[in-house]
Amino acid sequence: MPAPVVRVDQLTKVYRTRRERVTAVDRVSFEVQPGEVLGLLGPNGAGKTTTIKSLCTLVRPTSGEIEIGGVNVRAHPYRALKRIAAVLEGNRNIYWRLSPRENMEFFSGLQGIPTRTVRPRIDQLLERFRLVDKANVSARKLSRGMQQKLAVACALIKGTEILLLDEPTLGLDVETSYELRGALKAMARDHQRTILLSTHDMNVVQDVCDRVIVIHEGRVVTDDRVTNLLHMFRARAYRFILEGRLEDRACHRLERSFEMLELHHTDHRTEIEVELLDSAALYKMMDVLRESGAIIESIDRQDPNLEEIFLAIVRGNN
Amino acid sequence: MATLVMIKAMFKRYAIELRRYYFNTLSMLVSFYLIFILLFYGVQSLANGGQQFGDALNGMVVGFMVFYLTVYSYAELSWVLVGEASQGTLEQLSMSPLGFGRVLLARIFAALVYRIVIMFLLLLLMMWTTGRWMAFDLWTLIPLLLFTMASVQGVGFVMGGLALVFKQIQASLGILQFVFVALIAAPIERFPALKFLPLSWGTRLIGDSMINGTHIWQVAPADLAVVGVTGVGYFAAGFFVFKYFEVVARDRGLLGHY
Repeated sequence: MPAPVVRVDQLTKVYRTRRERVTAVDRVSFEVQPGEVLGLLGPNGAGKTTTIKSLCTLVRPTSGEIEIGGVNVRAHPYRALKRIAAVLEGNRNIYWRLSPRENMEFFSGLQGIPTRTVRPRIDQLLERFRLVDKANVSARKLSRGMQQKLAVACALIKGTEILLLDEPTLGLDVETSYELRGALKAMARDHQRTILLSTHDMNVVQDVCDRVIVIHEGRVVTDDRVTNLLHMFRARAYRFILEGRLEDRACHRLERSFEMLELHHTDHRTEIEVELLDSAALYKMMDVLRESGAIIESIDRQDPNLEEIFLAIVRGNN
Repeated sequence: MATLVMIKAMFKRYAIELRRYYFNTLSMLVSFYLIFILLFYGVQSLANGGQQFGDALNGMVVGFMVFYLTVYSYAELSWVLVGEASQGTLEQLSMSPLGFGRVLLARIFAALVYRIVIMFLLLLLMMWTTGRWMAFDLWTLIPLLLFTMASVQGVGFVMGGLALVFKQIQASLGILQFVFVALIAAPIERFPALKFLPLSWGTRLIGDSMINGTHIWQVAPADLAVVGVTGVGYFAAGFFVFKYFEVVARDRGLLGHY
């Protein structure tokens, strides 16, 4: 396995005021591999933004270490910043009086990269984000979606290997969000960019990310591949619909033997949602139903989306 | 090389913004010009046009010019920081691998150069309007202005640092204007120690050059040294204070808030 391009070790950030002491991030540790797209998922105030801001030196951690490409951020912030670009506030990371082209030229200059060397890349990005027609129009005259795409383009123009995005699709319409997700996937795939993004939008994580870290109350509660999480929950949850009311004895037996998520019955039908860890459990469930004389109307494997998984993880943590 | 590229980017952006905010730029020039004209003719009418007030009027032209530059020099950084924070770009500036301090230095340097150019144009207009032509030796004026404004910028860094942490500092900026007016007119002859304060001695030498035609090589080395040392000293001390506030802002997660 290659060396991680981002390494966060026991990151802790405590904000102190005269009256209180708030732990925004509590001993968070993770690594990101080159070319990986990692999603930071969590409710408001979970510590996602503080984590991202600590990575790009905007927030000074209380304790813990961060390494970007093997460079310690605390000891050598400027060396670390050479490898990072970030979009932190959606459409507010650009100069509204400058045009998209002027914005990209300025931000490459801020990185110390001369305009003449980035011109071809500016043209590519304008094309990729469908901003060619607006290249010379003041950014304030663009739609919110276009401004947000421009903010990402301004981060990409820096040519850094790591891209940090805080809520990149916040406030975007469905079409623009879809377009931006496509562009991010292409960036990771075609240019081997490492992307770390925080979002509330489960579609973004499901669509773009390889791995997801769920942060809750400043702590990492889950760190796994998105496919693993989806598979794990998908493999477990089943929904049975039975004709008529299932007899009480069978209901008690089911409740004793399985992790029942829901059991709802009327005189005409019974609905059961149950977690079955493996095939043996499924067969055992079928045996119980057969022995009780139940008539199965339908069996569905539940395919929860990431939102449900997220809620389950956070509730489980509580 | 990378730093030069960044400085060039700052100059270019500043020029674009001056052009795009042309109404703001124009109204600033017109208002400064009108205030000056009102002051000039007001003082002249009080003096009944007497020639004995000639030097005082010349001194007023110089004082007004230095005041114009001073106001922008000490407040520029605070305006930049609050403005960039409110439009969401301050965090981007502070993430430059060339360093936040260096980026801000480039930003205020670009602003100072543009302001000096604008100020010279204003000055020519003032001299043409009033018919009082003064010496205009750029080899003397430019270094004196740069060092004098460096001392003012030192105060500007302190205010900028405060703006970074406390955000709303307009009241203090307003009060400081009066302090600088006092420094421009400081009675150095009576209290020579005042020459070590920001602005005061530099203004005097600039006035001497413009009113009496004194060239830089005619100024006593010790007098030049005072301008140089106060310029560099206040600038460095102010920058040091600013870096302290920058650490506080990063510690409290305030960069980018407004």
